[in-house]
Amino acid sequence: MSSTPLINPSPLETGLRAAFAARSQTSEAQAAAFERFQKHGFPNRRVEGWKWSDFNAALRRLQPANDRAGAVAIAPSDFAGLNPIEIRIVDGRIIVPGNDAVEGIEYGIIDPVGASPHMDDHAIAALNVAMTRKALGIRVLQGVELVRPVLIRHINSGSTPVFSQTLARAEEESRLTIIESFEGAGAYYSTLFHLGVREGAQVERYLLQNAGAEMITHAFCGVMMSRSAKFKQTSLSTGGALCRHETHMLYPSDGSESRIASASLLSDERHSDFTTIVGHQGEECTTRQLHKGVVRDRGRNIFQGKFLVERTAQKTDAKMTANALLLSDMAEANHKPELEIYADDVECAHGSTSGALDDDALFYLRQRGLDEHCARALLIEAFVGEVIDGIPDDGVRNIFGARVNQWLEAV
Amino acid sequence: MLKIEDLHVAVDGAEILKGLTLEVPAGEVHAIMGPNGSGKSTLSHTIAGRDAYEVLSGGVTLDGDNLLALDPNERAAKGLFLSFQHPIEIPGVQTMNFIRTAMNAQRKARSEEEISAADFLKSIRAKAKLVGLNDAKIKRPFNVGFSGGEKKRMEMLQLVMFEPRFAIMDETDSGLDIDALKMVGDVVNELRDPSRGFLVITHYQRLLDYIKPDAVHVLADGRIVKSGGPELAAELERSGYDQFIEAA
Ligand SMILES: Nc1ncnc2c1ncn2[C@@H]1O[C@H](COP(=O)(O)OP(=O)(O)O)[C@@H](O)[C@H]1O
Ligand SMILES: [Mg+2]
Repeated sequence: MSSTPLINPSPLETGLRAAFAARSQTSEAQAAAFERFQKHGFPNRRVEGWKWSDFNAALRRLQPANDRAGAVAIAPSDFAGLNPIEIRIVDGRIIVPGNDAVEGIEYGIIDPVGASPHMDDHAIAALNVAMTRKALGIRVLQGVELVRPVLIRHINSGSTPVFSQTLARAEEESRLTIIESFEGAGAYYSTLFHLGVREGAQVERYLLQNAGAEMITHAFCGVMMSRSAKFKQTSLSTGGALCRHETHMLYPSDGSESRIASASLLSDERHSDFTTIVGHQGEECTTRQLHKGVVRDRGRNIFQGKFLVERTAQKTDAKMTANALLLSDMAEANHKPELEIYADDVECAHGSTSGALDDDALFYLRQRGLDEHCARALLIEAFVGEVIDGIPDDGVRNIFGARVNQWLEAV
Repeated sequence: MLKIEDLHVAVDGAEILKGLTLEVPAGEVHAIMGPNGSGKSTLSHTIAGRDAYEVLSGGVTLDGDNLLALDPNERAAKGLFLSFQHPIEIPGVQTMNFIRTAMNAQRKARSEEEISAADFLKSIRAKAKLVGLNDAKIKRPFNVGFSGGEKKRMEMLQLVMFEPRFAIMDETDSGLDIDALKMVGDVVNELRDPSRGFLVITHYQRLLDYIKPDAVHVLADGRIVKSGGPELAAELERSGYDQFIEAA
C-alpha cells in the first residue's frame, strides 16, 4: 500500500510500518498521513526546529514490542477536588464517564481527524493521524459557561507506542476549562489536541506533565481562534526522557487574545521542550507568552517560541519572555525566541535570559535565618511564581503551586 | 558580647582586613567610622558569614560562641542581625511571607514556638507604621521598586521584628533624609538594652547625633587605627580621615 520507503528505518519505524499495513480499517486520509510520515520518519536533530529534541535518536533506543499494557491501578487525580468531568485515556483507550450527563456539554468517542492546520510536514502529527483509531470529542454549547472543568487524564504504561486525539470546541460565547494531566510511565506517547475557540468564547487550558522519567512524550496542540476569542494556557512540566509540548495557535480573525505560560522543573536527565507558534492574521490580537525553566543536574530545558505576524495583522500586541534558572554546571537551557513580522503597525517584543541563583539574594535570605535549602527553594519558587500566580483559576493555581513545592522538597 | 580578635580577611585573594581587633560589650553601641573602601562592609559580611570573604586568621565570637564555625542562618538564629548597606530586591517573594518564614526558621532553630499568623500580622502592622512603611508596602514583593530610603526602612522593620541580640548596621544612614535618620535613631534607642549590642557603621557623624554611641572606632586600611568616645566622631567630622589614612 505505502510506496515511500523509509531511509534507514529504526526498529520502531519498521514495526509501525508493519502495524499500519496489518490494519483493516484505515481511511484514505490515514493512508495519506502515513505516507507523509514515511517521507520523513521521526525528526532528527538536523531537521529545523528539532535540533535540541532528537526524537529519531531517542526512539531508536526503543524496541518494538507487543506487550499489551497491564491493567494499572489508577489513583484519584490531584484535581479531584475541583469536581471535574473526568475522562481517562488509558494506554490510548478513551474512557468517558457513563452516567454523568452535564448540561451544556457534549462529549464522547468520535472519528479522528484526517488532517489539521499547522500540521503539514509534521511527521509526528502525521503518524498520529495515521495510527489513531478513535478520538475524544468535546463540545461546549453556545453561550454555556461551564462551571465544572473537564479533566483529561493521559495515563500510560507498557512499552507499546500509544496514540490519542482530542477534538474540542467551545462554541460562541461559551466558557470551558480543560485540564490535561500526563501520568504513569510508558514508552512513547503521542497525542493530538485540536481546539476551536469560537467567537467570543473563552477557554482555559491547563497542562500538568507528570509522567515517568523514562517516557518519551509528544503532545501537539492546535488552537483555532475566532473573532474576540480568548485562550489562556498554563503548563507545568517535570519533563521526561524526551518530552515536547507544542502549541500552534492561529488567529485568522480580529481581536483574539491569548496568554501562554509554561514552566518546567527538571532534575536528573529530564528533558522538556515547549515549542509554540502563534500565527497572527487578524487585527488587534494580543499575545502574552511567558516561560520559566528551572534546571538542575543534567536536565535540559528547551523553549522555542515564534510569533508570526502577517501583513494583515495590524495592531498586533505580542510579547514573549523566556527565563531559565540553571542550578548546576551541567544543566542546559536552549531558548529560541523568534519574531517574524510583516505588518508595520504592531508592538512586538521578546526577551530571553538564563542564569544561576543570585548569590546576593541567597546570602540575604540566609542572614535572615533561612537555611540553604530553604533559601534556594524560596528563590526558585519566586522565579516560577510568575507563571503560577498568573493562573486565573484558584483551585488549579493551588494544585500547580503544591506541585512546585513538592518538586522543591525533593531536590 | 561580640569579640573580634586579630581578624585577617581576604576577598578574591586580596587581604582587606589586616588584623582587626574590637570588642563590643553587652548593652553598648559602638560606631565604626572610616573612609570608603576601608573594609567596613567586608567586616559586616564576614561577621554575618558570607562565604566569598575568606578568613585567613583571627576569630569572631558572640557570647563566647565561635561565629566563624557557623552557617549564616545559624548565626542569625544566635541573634545576629545585619542591616545591609545595599538591601536587595527579591521579585516574587512576598514581604510578609518572607519575614514570617524567616522568623519561624530562627525560632525553630532555637527550639522556640512558631509565631501564629494572627500575632505576626498584628505585630508587623504596628511595626511597619513605626518605621514609616504603609500596609501596601509590606504586601508587595520584597523591596521591588522601592526607593533607597524605603529599602532602609525595610531593614529597620526587620530589625524591630527580629529583635536580635546583636545588630550590625552597615551605613543604614546613607541616603536617608532627616526624618528617616531620626526614625533610625528612635528604633535603635528603643531597642537599647543591657543584653543587646550594636555595631553602627557609618562615615558621617550625623546618625550619631541621634544614636549616642558608647565608643567610636576608626577603621582605616583594614585595621582599627583609633578608638575613643563620642567626641571622636565630632573630631572626624571636623578634620576628616586623612590623618588616619596616612597613619595606616
Ligand atoms: N566582593 C568583593 N569582591 C572584590 N573586592 C571587594 C569585594 N568586597 C569588597 N571588596 C574590596 O575590598 C575593599 C573594602 O571594601 P568594603 O569593605 O566594601 O569597604 P567599605 O564598606 O568600607 O566602603 C575595597 O577595596 C573593595 O573594592
Ligand atoms: Mg560599605
